[in-house]
Amino acid sequence: MSYLRAATTSVCILAASACLSASDRETASGYRGRIFPDPRPKIDFTLKDTEGADFGFRQETDGFVTLLFFGYTHCPDVCPIHMANIGAVLNGFPFELRRQFKVVFVSTDPERDTPERMRRWLDSFGTDFIGLTGPREQVNQIQVALGLPGSVIEETEGGEYLVGHSSSVLAFTKDNVAHVGYPFGTRQDDWAHDLPKLVDERWGSR
Amino acid sequence: MRWWCASSRGVAWDWTWQPYIGVWALVALLAVFYWLQVRKLPIPESPTERSRRRRQAILFGGGALALWSALDWPLGPLGSGYLASVHMVQYLLLALIGPPLLLLGLPGTSYDKLRAWPRALTVLRNTTQPLVAFFIFNVAVTVTHWPSLVDPLMRSQVGSFVLDISWLLAGIIFWWPLISPVPEWPRFAPIFKMAYLGLNGIMIRPPFFILLFSKFPAYATYELAPPIPGTSALSDQQLAAGIMKLGSALIMVVAMVLVFSDWVRSSQRQEPARADRF
Repeated sequence: MSYLRAATTSVCILAASACLSASDRETASGYRGRIFPDPRPKIDFTLKDTEGADFGFRQETDGFVTLLFFGYTHCPDVCPIHMANIGAVLNGFPFELRRQFKVVFVSTDPERDTPERMRRWLDSFGTDFIGLTGPREQVNQIQVALGLPGSVIEETEGGEYLVGHSSSVLAFTKDNVAHVGYPFGTRQDDWAHDLPKLVDERWGSR
Repeated sequence: MRWWCASSRGVAWDWTWQPYIGVWALVALLAVFYWLQVRKLPIPESPTERSRRRRQAILFGGGALALWSALDWPLGPLGSGYLASVHMVQYLLLALIGPPLLLLGLPGTSYDKLRAWPRALTVLRNTTQPLVAFFIFNVAVTVTHWPSLVDPLMRSQVGSFVLDISWLLAGIIFWWPLISPVPEWPRFAPIFKMAYLGLNGIMIRPPFFILLFSKFPAYATYELAPPIPGTSALSDQQLAAGIMKLGSALIMVVAMVLVFSDWVRSSQRQEPARADRF
């Protein structure tokens, strides 16, 4: 009898934990990302893409859901994890949905992130991911204008360095405003939940 | 310095060796325990007894080595912080390979000492009934692979230690009825031992389905760990499911072959004795 009780308890714990894992990340907004109390309008800036051409951010991303992230290719953790998770989810979407997104990665490490290196790195996550570089000061100004902290250099042993930067991905919807941000820790399941909703979102009617 | 392996804490994997004092302490405890078991044994006189004693030492040493390799660098940190597939190799070593070797390696006199603790003996007697052991093992394996339990536990060294030790204990309970080291507790006939092993080999537990068929990585621990070049969280998870199922099935098949050959040998030994009687 005691074994039967133990078995029932185990099954209940498992069922409860399964329910929790499915629903505990959704917020009242219906999104798993963080809703900004003050949405951040898209700003206009121009940087070089991995082909060396000028890329006008506002103009080139108009009409798309745009995921904007500031990072660097030598990043050991946050950048490759964010990019891998976004890439894995987008690559699983049907073409019609997939084509409504643009992923823009702005380098915070212009010295080491050559166009070739950046292209190779981004291709491992998504061949259509856009990589942009520009002077460090300009990139910092863009980050600050978007409400993100500027990046900072952190020296490490052996003359190497890390670049401290924001770990949030800004999601601009088709109204050219970022209403939601995705911090480090956002999982593929969360991206798959939120991204299709962002395509159809009409913020004004909420 | 960390005493036990836990999640990566955002540190990228590199091949720099790291000590894990808790793992060494566990292995040292096992060695001391074994020494305490054998130190007062009489020096074996017959070659058969000598070779049996040597065989036991090798088996126990093999069991301790299995645990050590599962828990220490590099499998320990890789499995607890970076790759679900390595985590599954750890599971095989801790639950399915180490425990039977440790049990087979202990001298029979060790079990006699248990008689000094009647309460422990009662618990052991109850938990190692074949059906109970089968149930405990399978519930333990299911629960200790459940993502919403594994992720919070793996964040701390204590949680990771609890998971590892749970596998070890569950493995000891699972193998006990098969090896039946206490002569007065003959568990079940070889045919039922083979059925016990076979059923466990084909048993499909919920975590296997989650790992193999989920569209997205199930464990945050591995999904949000600094990536290891050439791997993706989802393909690593699917590999983990394969290792869990095929590795476990392979171990069960090997055990079934050993039980069967032991059965045949003991039948052959009984034949001449029976013939003498007539």
